[in-house]
Amino acid sequence: MTATPPERAPPDRSTPPIRLRPARESDVAAVVPLLLRLKRLNEEFDPLLKVRDDAEAQAGGVLRAQIADPRSVFLVAEGAGAERDKVVGFVRAVVRERPFYAPELEGVIVDIYLLPLYRRRGVGEYLLREVTAALKAKGAGIVTAEFPAQNEIAVRFYSKRGFRPVTSIHARPL
Amino acid sequence: MAESVPAPDPPVRVGRRRRPAARRPAADAREEGQTEQLGQRAVELSRFYAGKIETVPKVPVRSLHDFSVWYTPGVAAVSRAIHADRELAFDLTGRWNTVAIVTDGSRVLGLGDIGPHAALPVMEGKALLFKFLGGVDAIPLPIEAASPDKFLSTVEAIAPAFGGVNLEDIASPKCFGLLEELARRLEIPVWHDDQLGTAAATVAGLLNALEVTGRAMPDIRTVLLGAGAANLATARLLLALGHDPARLSLVDHHGILHAERDDVDELSVRHPWKYRLALRTNGGGRTGDLARALEGADVVVAASTPVPGTLRREQVRTMAPDPIVFALANPAPEIWPDDARAAGAAVVATGRSDFPNQVNNSLVFPAVFRGVLDARARSVPDEIVLEAARELARGAQRKGIGPHHILPTMEELEVFPHVAAAVADAAVAAGVARRRQSHTEFLQRARTLMARPSRLARVLARAGLTPPMPRRSAGRRRAG
Repeated sequence: MTATPPERAPPDRSTPPIRLRPARESDVAAVVPLLLRLKRLNEEFDPLLKVRDDAEAQAGGVLRAQIADPRSVFLVAEGAGAERDKVVGFVRAVVRERPFYAPELEGVIVDIYLLPLYRRRGVGEYLLREVTAALKAKGAGIVTAEFPAQNEIAVRFYSKRGFRPVTSIHARPL
Repeated sequence: MAESVPAPDPPVRVGRRRRPAARRPAADAREEGQTEQLGQRAVELSRFYAGKIETVPKVPVRSLHDFSVWYTPGVAAVSRAIHADRELAFDLTGRWNTVAIVTDGSRVLGLGDIGPHAALPVMEGKALLFKFLGGVDAIPLPIEAASPDKFLSTVEAIAPAFGGVNLEDIASPKCFGLLEELARRLEIPVWHDDQLGTAAATVAGLLNALEVTGRAMPDIRTVLLGAGAANLATARLLLALGHDPARLSLVDHHGILHAERDDVDELSVRHPWKYRLALRTNGGGRTGDLARALEGADVVVAASTPVPGTLRREQVRTMAPDPIVFALANPAPEIWPDDARAAGAAVVATGRSDFPNQVNNSLVFPAVFRGVLDARARSVPDEIVLEAARELARGAQRKGIGPHHILPTMEELEVFPHVAAAVADAAVAAGVARRRQSHTEFLQRARTLMARPSRLARVLARAGLTPPMPRRSAGRRRAG
């Protein structure tokens, strides 16, 4: 994470503290650490999600490819006040085809991450609403979210907002 | 924090007083030798006495006929009464004064995860302290529990026999969840001494240290070094006392705890108590190591590793003028008191009895339990813990406070019943007391019950029922 400015005031928790906009090439450097935080968090839930040693090197390319991909949605959240120009969270999603099921376009939320001080303030909900709208605008007729099965916080977050389990991915190492 | 025992009336001395002058590095070797000698002696005496406590009847038994009252058939009526009204168990049985000392042996003293079997002698020693200092009948109960759930259900299952539960030597962060959950499930006070006992003693000392150096809680900047059971509880109590969360910083092996530290998401899953403090504290957004945290701080409370030099003179020099330094690791504090003073510390406290200002959980838990048991409390919320700390601070004030006296010593036994009575009053005020009495009644009761064990010990020794300690076995004595 980039060093925080010394002696900054804690963010005000009463007002919606972020602004959301599509990611640009210039955001990649700021998003990479957040992406890695999210992947390491996933590793906490399941050793089968062990983060690769070269994950950081991979991240830049993945993010840049996503920015260039017209079938994806990639939004960054910027903080408020002293953190106005700081990326404090992001959401990544892609539109996938479903050849056998209707509706045929599925918007898949791949990653949502917010720095801890921005959690529990309705920001996640706002991110979900915005990314859903963007996926819908790209033709998606159903929205799904991928996250580790053991992440109960995510289960609760999505369940509360009308999501339910549809497919399960089971794994064993080879 | 090691508990140390005051010199009670009978000639039972545990630990000898050492001069502050006798120190490092030659002194370290000598202390190691002393510790080893004490250890050998403990094994000898444990073998000789075959344990440290036993149960003793408290009713007359003139002949076996009396058992028709103490036991069947008479006792059935007592059971019927309690069956009709459970609360009567506090009147008709010893439940009112009986505490379970429960451990899974996962973090015993500095020995680590040695398990419940090996934890038993420590719990016996704790039971002895409970009796001697608090007049409390405490039962050592190390539990073999395969999982936290099993531990919880076991403690819940034995609760009907007890007026309180003292959790002991349970690893962090597991101890936080177990304490919270047991406090929620049980109708009796549940206390984890490694958190609350140490934290309450620390806060008591700090209140007087602030007084001595002319500071006020809302203004100070505090660094807590070490984020284990004790310091996390201390953080919570300080915040409850009006410490500005923005001016409180925790520092652990990874440096200053803050909301954007690399491991903060991991903490959110593995250690929510520390995670919550990461979000709440360190409002200045400082990042970095201990040295950075200490710059300009008024107070440092170190409860980390027993390695002198963990806190260094030059770091203390960067603190605010007349800083307060608590170096609580045992047996070797994070910085020796004269080093801290040489670097400008106005008040220094340690966990040791041979330096001034010993922060000792034995100042707290016997009196807290005396108080909550006398009020027959259903729980021991933080406001009671804080009242214990305040009364302990007042106890020191009655003798006069100064840089070398911010806490009562273990010899100042008159403080104990006062803390007990303050705790009982606080239980009444908090609405958790089953029994309400006046302050004077609580105080008198605590005095009587706390004085009884040493009288008992004297009588038993005089009658030859407690044999005198055998001499040290010659072969084991160390030369020099």
